[in-house]
Formats: sequence, structure tokens, C-alpha cells
Amino acid sequence: MFKKLIDNAASKSPWLFHINAGSCNGCDIELVAVLTPRYDAERLGFKLAGTPRHADIVVVSGPVTVQSLDRVLRTIEQVPEPRVIVTLGSCPRSCNVFKGSYAVAGPLDKYVPIDVSIAGCAPKPEAIIDGLALATKILKEKREAMK
Amino acid sequence: MDIMNIDIMDILMYAVYILIFPGLLFTCVFGLWLAGIDRKVVARMQHRKGPPLAQPAYDFLKLLGKECIVPDGAARITFLAAPWLGLASLVVTVLFIPIGGLQAFGTGGDTVVILYLLTIPTLAMILGGSASGSPFAGVGSSRTMVAIMSYELPLILIILAVGKAAGGYGVTFSLGQITLFQYLTAPFILDWRLVPAAIAMLFVIPCEVGQHPFDVGEAETEICEGPLVEYSGAPLAVFKLSHAIKMFVMTALFSALFLGGVTTGMLWLDIVLTLAFCSVVTLVCMSLLHAISARFRVEQLFKFFWTVVSGLALVSLLLVWFC
Ligand code: SF4
Repeated sequence: MFKKLIDNAASKSPWLFHINAGSCNGCDIELVAVLTPRYDAERLGFKLAGTPRHADIVVVSGPVTVQSLDRVLRTIEQVPEPRVIVTLGSCPRSCNVFKGSYAVAGPLDKYVPIDVSIAGCAPKPEAIIDGLALATKILKEKREAMK
Repeated sequence: MDIMNIDIMDILMYAVYILIFPGLLFTCVFGLWLAGIDRKVVARMQHRKGPPLAQPAYDFLKLLGKECIVPDGAARITFLAAPWLGLASLVVTVLFIPIGGLQAFGTGGDTVVILYLLTIPTLAMILGGSASGSPFAGVGSSRTMVAIMSYELPLILIILAVGKAAGGYGVTFSLGQITLFQYLTAPFILDWRLVPAAIAMLFVIPCEVGQHPFDVGEAETEICEGPLVEYSGAPLAVFKLSHAIKMFVMTALFSALFLGGVTTGMLWLDIVLTLAFCSVVTLVCMSLLHAISARFRVEQLFKFFWTVVSGLALVSLLLVWFC
């Protein structure tokens, strides 16, 4: 019974950790907008965590530059299981307008498996909430699959 | 021979006190409830819908189900034991505070014991933070130390003022006596001499709990939650739970010191009343301050507590002594 309580709680309190991997800042602003009174993601339990150790969902934005690649991977590794990786915007999936640049090492799925990707440049806050809600479902599935 | 005389019923009674009421189970539920309404009310004040009331409970359960990572550079045993030490001492503290006329372990020196016990959870956090070996935790620990020094002085002055008011010729350190005195006369919050002390206490509570705007040690936007930076999984859950319980302990202490511990005679009614009073105190001194203010800097915090808050407490002490 206790395990069931924990499994249920897993989808209700997702804490986000946001990594900027060379994003143009457009996506980052939209993510912050999701937490403002207008969209208030906290009603679903979302909270921005200060450190990757506290996070459940890692949100990556930006095309993963050569400089940031190592840091992104190390940060993702520090997030305890179960964790879900979400890409924000077109950049981490396709490198978007930065494709072909000598400074870009992306897309991200060359290095880590991605659970949810939110499309758009930059995505609408509604789309971000939708993607994050999907991420909480995956989080719960992963928690149930543990042990 | 004496040892044989201890009744099995007594032992059972103490077990119930420690584990169920007013110990572990009761304080957990109560604390999580207070943390829930705090978050909800702050959200409503900022024109948001806010998380559900059970959000702190969800957070706690979720953290229990997460992987627990111990960093390579950490002192493993201290790192893992620190949260439990903090939780245990908080649960013990509750046993000394009269809740609805019921005081599990009353002694002649309750307030002194409580003063000591209250520092242990914060010290446990400092201990755990230093054991994690992270520089962020180091900064957070030293800041937390400053916070302890800031609120300890006014808290002692407040307790002296209240003890003097209840003790007549001497100062009493027994919470039972303090609440009894208020039961027989009037709650101290109505005594004009003690109003400054009550206001000072309303500032001490959020600082002791580590609530915004006094959360210098855990500033998550500057130093990534300070001492908690490396914690994950169950130990982090215990720290979050301790934080919620601390809210309850401090507000219950306030209601014992200034509202007379709320005694009517019927236990269930007392508990409901205590719940209501604690919630109101939480709203006034924590949610309101949280919603309308930005964080203090460390030296501002220290200065504020040693001048304004200590000043208020000192005024009360002098008034009680000489009027
Ligand atoms: S997807 Fe668009 S808005 Fe987002 S980081 Fe890339 S270029 Fe900027």
C-alpha cells in the first residue's frame, strides 16, 4: 500500500531542473512564463529546483554547444532516478538555425535518450505545460517500473 | 526492585506519546497541513491558483521513492544520519509543549530544554551540509550559523519576559505553569506589556523555521538550497518533513507562550482550536511575509534581529520587570 502511495505521488510533485545548453534565451523566457501567475504550473506541483539532485524532470533548451555538452551530460547524470528528460524548443532536437555551426555538438539525442520533446521556436506556454504534463505520466511509469 | 514497579501501561503510554500523539504521527500530519496552507495562501496572494493542500505530502512521498545518491567526497555516515537526528530532536521538542492542556513530559525547566532542543535540527542541517563536501553547502552552513545567532538572543529575551510575567516574584521556566497562569487570568497577548514580545516572536518564528524572507542559509536562487544541495531521495524527504514539523513546533510554542496553550477541557476541541491558532499564526508571520518581501542579505538579517527584534523583546522584559 505504501508503495502505491509513493507511486501515485511520483506524478504529482515533479520538480524541474532547467539546463541552458546554448539557447538563444527565447525558450528560457517561455519556461519562466509557465511559472508566472497567468499559467501557474505550480498548481500541478511543478517547482523549479535549485540543484539537479532535487530534480525529477530535466528540461534542456538550446542546440547543445561544444562547450556545454560535457556539462549537460554531467548534470543529467546527477539527477536521481526516476528522471525524465524533456527538450524544450526545436534547438535540442534538430539544432534549428544553428545547424552546421562548428560550435554546435547537438542534437541532444545523439548522447542521451529523450523522453518528451516540446516543439516550437519558441514553444507556447500552453505547449510547454502539455509537454510537462506528459512528462509527469512518464515519470510515474518509470517509478512503477523501478524495483 | 524499583525498576520492576514501572507499569507496562506507563511504557505503553510513553510509546503512544512519542509515536502517535503528540509525537511523530500527529506532528507530521499537522506540520504537512501547515506547510500546505502556507503554500496555498502565498499562491492566492500572488493571484495564482496554487498547489493542492496535500502538495507537501506528495513532495514528501515522492522524495521517499527517489534514488538516494551519496557524493564521493562526503562523510557517508554523518551525511545519512544528520536528517534523522534533526527529526528526532524535533519530535522530542513537541513532547515538552502543551498542546490543548496535554503536556507529555512536563518539567520545571521546559523552556530551557526547548531552547536547546530547537537548535539541534538546525545544527543537524549544518552537520549534514558540511559532511556533503560541497562548497555551496559550506556557504549555506556558515550562513545558517549566522541565522541561529540572530534569532537566539531575541528568543531568550522573549522567554525571560514571559517567564517573569507568569512567575510573579521569580522567573518560571515551566511551560505548564505559564499556560496555567494564563488559563487563570488572561492570555498574555492581551497584556499590553507583552505585546512587543509577541511581535518579536512573530519575527523569530519564520527565521527559526528558515522561511522566506529569512532563509539566508537555503537561498535556492543564490546558493542552490545551501546545506541541502547534495541531498536527494529519503534523507531530503526527512529534511523537508523536519521543515514542516518545525513550523508546527514554533507556532505551537507561540500559542503556549502567548495564547495560553488553548485549554477548554475537552481534548478533541482543544486539538481543533490549536490547529486553528497555529494556522492563523502561520498565515500572519510566514505566508504574509513570504508573499510581500524579498530575501534579506546575511548581514541585514543579523542587524535586523539584534536591533529591532531584540529591542522589542527587551522593551517587554523591562516593562514586565518594572511595571
Ligand atoms: S528553439 Fe528557438 S527560441 Fe528556443 S532556443 Fe532555439 S532558437 Fe531560441
